[in-house]
Amino acid sequence: MIRPRSVAFVAIVFAVVYAIAYVIAVWKNVPVFTYHPIAGTIGLGVEKPHDGPAMYWFGWMSTAAIAALAACLVASLVPERIARRLGSAWAWAVPVGVLLFFAYLLRGYFLR
Amino acid sequence: MFIVLLIVHGLFAVALLGAITHQAVSTWLPGQRQAGSFTGRFRGVSAAGYAKAIVVLYVCTAILGAIIYPEFRISIRGVLDELDAPAVMGAFELKEHFAVVGLAVLPAYLYFWRLPLADEYRRTRMALTAVLAFITWWNFLVGHVVNNFRGYAA
Repeated sequence: MIRPRSVAFVAIVFAVVYAIAYVIAVWKNVPVFTYHPIAGTIGLGVEKPHDGPAMYWFGWMSTAAIAALAACLVASLVPERIARRLGSAWAWAVPVGVLLFFAYLLRGYFLR
Repeated sequence: MFIVLLIVHGLFAVALLGAITHQAVSTWLPGQRQAGSFTGRFRGVSAAGYAKAIVVLYVCTAILGAIIYPEFRISIRGVLDELDAPAVMGAFELKEHFAVVGLAVLPAYLYFWRLPLADEYRRTRMALTAVLAFITWWNFLVGHVVNNFRGYAA
């Protein structure tokens, strides 16, 4: 059975890894799949647009989800005495940093 | 069907906005439970009672947004491009990314708001609530601007 502090540890790891993996997936364009909404088809990895636009957003989320779930699996095995060392502030500090990074990444839209 | 889903998405967003604003204000500016004024009662609500509803509303709003997103990409984004409104498009791009970051913090948010509330996590609860409140307000306002932009521009 997972102890309460370990649940907190896993939740913090999820927030941190999901946010970081998502921003990297967007920044480096690493989607698990590409969705072509007009054709209604899905292709593995990055595919160029054909028959209309290509959507990577769902693929980026999936990339981040895979990374975060893998990290949570590892985190659930970490002994509680080590899990206790991770401060709860990471759960919001990293996502806030990611929000700011996205604002920086997309600054071109606002500075034209 | 797209219009119906868009309206339902908006209604969920309104409910989420109300819940997260109540919680954020009562967390950052707590008031007395027995306050007589409107603002006092607004600040005096039990913040913890909103947590599960906020998670459910956030997930439902996000799912509905994801369902209608392809239609936006096909039919509406091109119009916005033609209107030459990079700031509006940039704000929408931020909205889609901010929504995902909000999903990332939901498990931690739910954990730290579980009852009985632990005093040692008070600052974490305040920060997580502020993050979700910011994302919700940003996404709500940007969603409305993008939805109405063609009318504004005309």
